[in-house]
Order: sequence, then C-alpha cells, then structure tokens
Amino acid sequence: MKKYLKLVNFEFNRVVKLFIVLLGITLVVQVAGVIIKSKDYLNMANEKINEDLIPKAQFLTDYGQFSFLHIIRSLWFVGPIALCAAGVAFYIFLIWYRDWVGKNIFVYRLLMLPTTRFNIFFAKISNILIMTLGLVAFQLILLPLEAMVLKWMVPDEFRNDMGIEEMITSIPELNIIIPSSFVELILYYGAGLMAVSILFTAILMERSFKWKGIIAGVIYSAIAVIVFISPVLLQEFVLNSYFYPMELFVIEIVMAVIVLAASVWMSGFLLKKKVTV
Amino acid sequence: MIEVKEVEKKFGRKKILKDVSFTANKGEITCLIGINGVGKTTLLNAIMALTPINNGEILIDGEPVKEKTFEKISLIPDALTMIPNMTIEEAMEFMNDFYTSWNRERAEELLGFFRLNKNDRISSLSKGNTAKVNLLLGLALDVDYVLMDEPFSGIDMFSREEIANVFTSHLIENRGVIITTHEVNDIEHLIDKVVLLDDGMVTKEFDAEKAREDDGMSVIDVMREVYQG
Amino acid sequence: MNVNFNNRDPVYFQIIRYFKEKIAIGEFEPGEEIPSRRELANRMKVNPNTAQRAYKEMEEQGLIYTERNLPSKITTDTKVLGKVREELIVEAVDTFVASVRSINVPVDELLDLVRTKYLESDKEV
Repeated sequence: MKKYLKLVNFEFNRVVKLFIVLLGITLVVQVAGVIIKSKDYLNMANEKINEDLIPKAQFLTDYGQFSFLHIIRSLWFVGPIALCAAGVAFYIFLIWYRDWVGKNIFVYRLLMLPTTRFNIFFAKISNILIMTLGLVAFQLILLPLEAMVLKWMVPDEFRNDMGIEEMITSIPELNIIIPSSFVELILYYGAGLMAVSILFTAILMERSFKWKGIIAGVIYSAIAVIVFISPVLLQEFVLNSYFYPMELFVIEIVMAVIVLAASVWMSGFLLKKKVTV
Repeated sequence: MIEVKEVEKKFGRKKILKDVSFTANKGEITCLIGINGVGKTTLLNAIMALTPINNGEILIDGEPVKEKTFEKISLIPDALTMIPNMTIEEAMEFMNDFYTSWNRERAEELLGFFRLNKNDRISSLSKGNTAKVNLLLGLALDVDYVLMDEPFSGIDMFSREEIANVFTSHLIENRGVIITTHEVNDIEHLIDKVVLLDDGMVTKEFDAEKAREDDGMSVIDVMREVYQG
Repeated sequence: MNVNFNNRDPVYFQIIRYFKEKIAIGEFEPGEEIPSRRELANRMKVNPNTAQRAYKEMEEQGLIYTERNLPSKITTDTKVLGKVREELIVEAVDTFVASVRSINVPVDELLDLVRTKYLESDKEV
C-alpha cells in the first residue's frame, strides 16, 4: 500500500507539468473568452443604442440580456475543456509508452521494483483519475470566478445572472463531467474508469505481443464493450423489455464491475507474466 | 545460486535462446561471453523476469523470481533506467524510497569512488559517467546477486579502469555476479567462471583458473578451441 | 604491485611466483606484513577468490603465516627462505639450459660467455 502511494506520487510528479499547462490554458482562454464575449455584446449594445438610436428596452427585447450561456456555448469555453479531455486521452497512452521509449528505458526500473506489479497498473490508472478529477475540480472553481468577471464587465440591466447549477445543466457536455448527483458521479466516473482499464489492458497486450497484441487488444476491447452493453442489447432485441429499468440498471452495474475486474486481472497477468522490456 | 535451466526464448519465429542452462554461484564472478546478438541481454532480462521465456526455468536460490526477489538481485542494464531529468541525488532518493535493501552509506561511498556529482542531471552525463551512475544504482543495493550487461562497452579507457576496480573491491565481495561481454580481454583475470554462449546454446561452461592450471589455456584459447575446433 | 600476468598460467600461480621473486631479492623481508587478500586483489587487479587461493597455497608451502586475526606475514623460517632462492635459480637455469641445449655449445665456452655477459649487465645496472 505504501509503495502504491509512493508510485502514485511519483507518477503524478511526472505529469504535473502537463497538468499545470492544461490548467493554465483553461484559465487564460476561458477568462479571456468571458472578457471578449462580454465586450462584443457591450460594443454591439453601444452601437445599437448610441448609433442606431434603438431604445435600451427595445434592444433588450430584440437581442436579449447577456448571460453566461453565451460564453458556455462559445469555443472560448468549450475549447479548453476539449483540449483537457484530449490531453487526458492522450496521456492514457503516453503514461505507458513513455516508459518504453528513449535512451533511458524506465520500465526496467518499474518492473524491477520489489512490489507487486499490480501497483504499477493501479498507480497509473489512479493518476488518470486524479488528473481528470483535478481538471474538473478546477473547472468548478473557475465557473463562479468567471461569473464574477462577467458581473464586473456587464452592467446589471444588460445581464441575466445564472446560478452555477444552471450553468452546468445548460449544456450536456458539462453536465457529464460535472454530474449533479453523487450517484451520477459514481456512474460516470465508474464508466470512465472501466473504459480506461480496457484501454490499459489493450496497451499491455500490445506491449506484450507487439503486432499480435494490437489485434488481441482490439478484440479484447470489442469483447469488453459487447459484454458491457449485452444486457441493453438483449433487452432491446431479444427480451422485449423484460427487465424493469431499475433491474436493467443494476445488471449494467454488475456488468461494468465484471469488465473492470477482468481488465485489472488481465493487466496484472500481462505485467507479471507476459510483458517485455 | 542462480540456476538457468533449459531456457528457450523466441522472438516471433526466431529462437534467440534454444536451450540455455548454467549456474552462477554466490561469491563468484561468472562471465557470459558471446558475440553481439547472441542473446546475452535477453538472458539477463529473462533472469530478472523482464521478458517471458517460452520454455525452461530460472531459479534464484531455489525459487522463481517474485517481487521480494528484487531485494536480493539487481540488474545493471547497458542503458540507464532512470528518468533523464532526475538528478543523481533524486535517482538515489527514488531507490531509497522503494528498496529496503538500498544502502545509503554504500551509495555515498560509490559516489565518491566514481567521483560523481550528486546534483548533476542524468541527461547531462557523459557516457562513462552514465555507466557509473548505473553501476551505483545497482551496487548500492545490499543484494546477493548483481547482473551486469556489458559494463565496459563503449566506455572510455579511464572509466573502464575505474569500473574494473569495482570487481576487485569489497563492493562485489561475497556477492554472485554475472557479467556479459563480447570481449574478455579486460577482465580475463577478474572472473571465476566462464559461460560461452553461441547460437542460442551454452557451448562451454568452465572455471577460468582451472583451464589455465589443467590445460595451460587462457580463456581466449578455450574460446578459440570451442568456436574453431 | 604492477604485475603483468600472462593468460595461460594460473593466476594464483603467478601471484605466488611474484612473492617468491620479491622474497628472493629481499624486497619482502622475513616477518614483513603482507596486504590482505582483498587489498592484494585490488592492487593486482585480480579476482579476490584467486588471491585467496594464492595465499592459501603459500601458507601451505610455509611461505607466509597467519597468527589468528592478524595480517599475514612473510615467514621467518630461514630454511624455507633459502629454498625459495634456490628454487628460483634452479628454475631459471633450467629454462636457460633447455633453450641453449639445441645449439650444442660446449659447456666451457658457454660458461665463459655467461660470465662475460653477466658481468657486463652488472656494470650497466
């Protein structure tokens, strides 16, 4: 356990630069977005009211008040989130492959540590999770901050204030990364964890068997996905909605746990018996 | 004792190791000699469970390698196995964190022995110094067995001398050492036992001093006889 | 202790020979302490097990002795010391004779030549 934590810490230190860069980009781009979008709106209002001489009330009914929704739907806001998501997705692969490449092959050391090789797997998957949660938490902190910036920028009468919850539920993408209930959080992140564990297994297959491993990895991933969604498929096409939604839901959770457990076991097996430096 | 028994290893369809058996004892320096590409590195990796074998068995003191084994056997590969942007000190800290067999005092002593600077970044080291750091990380562990992969290859003369000095010092005393090389000249007088590898097999396993005593043959004479006879 | 070992004679044997030579010319004096086996291995750049073997062998031949935990010492036994010198001389002469025999030189002529050469080399030194 102690060595697992040390490995988690060690792995985190290796990604901390990338992590901070992602946080920095998100902060800068999103806040810039708030300022630019607000300015655009105010400039437009200025133009309409002062140059086209449209009354303020008329302007507000025609063009609506400015709200955070304008920002959330813009690339300024979604772009950094997409970038972070891509960064994490990329790192899911990099976290393994970086140990095998270069002049100094670090995987030698990792595999020679006097600890179970499961810990290597757990430390890496924990880091993906920590990174993801870290980015999401940062976004959660950023939202009220950005709302405040907006308040400074746009005068009261032009502004329609939104609560944080309203912001989050306004677009589905945001609602997935920041679920509104604890159960949803467990479900979404559980599903994410399962997906990462499948990818990790596929990566380790490639590392163990090279070209053949890629094929094995693809087949394994396909099987895992099929196993996971099989209850839904059966429900739809064979059983004619035999299960109650709640039952189906529980079965899905069981399937997810099975797939996760199988991936962990398989990864451990590969690390112990098949992987090669 | 390290026992390698009938080990077979394939890469794809190619058999790199066909049938390799030998033993290496504690307190002795065993030298694995073979031309490049004969599978010496693969064999060391296999002993450390860093690559699976297709057949055969490898035992360390009668047991197959498990996690605890890494507290009593260390491998010094031909490339450094630390993250390049670490300093030597950070690399030493890393070792200290994970190995109970890490011996801080000995690590410090080795640092002096090789005249290395703790604060140097690993990526900035010369080839000779990189090899020395690599040796430091492997030798500062209080392990019974040390495996070294070509510790002399591609290294300047003075570094070679310093590294050769390790073998006659207390740093190696009472340990079992396996060293691979494709060129025996430098270490002819340092080794106890020779294992000749050719074409995926052990062609001869002999005691170097005994060959000199019984047959008046140097290690190279024996090699010549085996390969050309 | 820079010794050029050849690769064909057992290393332990060459170490013993080195000691004998040093004893014969008096560089190692009777009762003098000699390095520990590890020190010797380190200085001669040989395997410590080989150094150990050389010491064991020398101990058996009575060339060195060890009193409980103390460093080993060169023997003070004059009989053994005398024998070392004799042995080396006989060995060298044997080699010389063996190589000169094939030329078939009369003994007297040979001895004269040896004397002249020997004195000459003495002067040079």
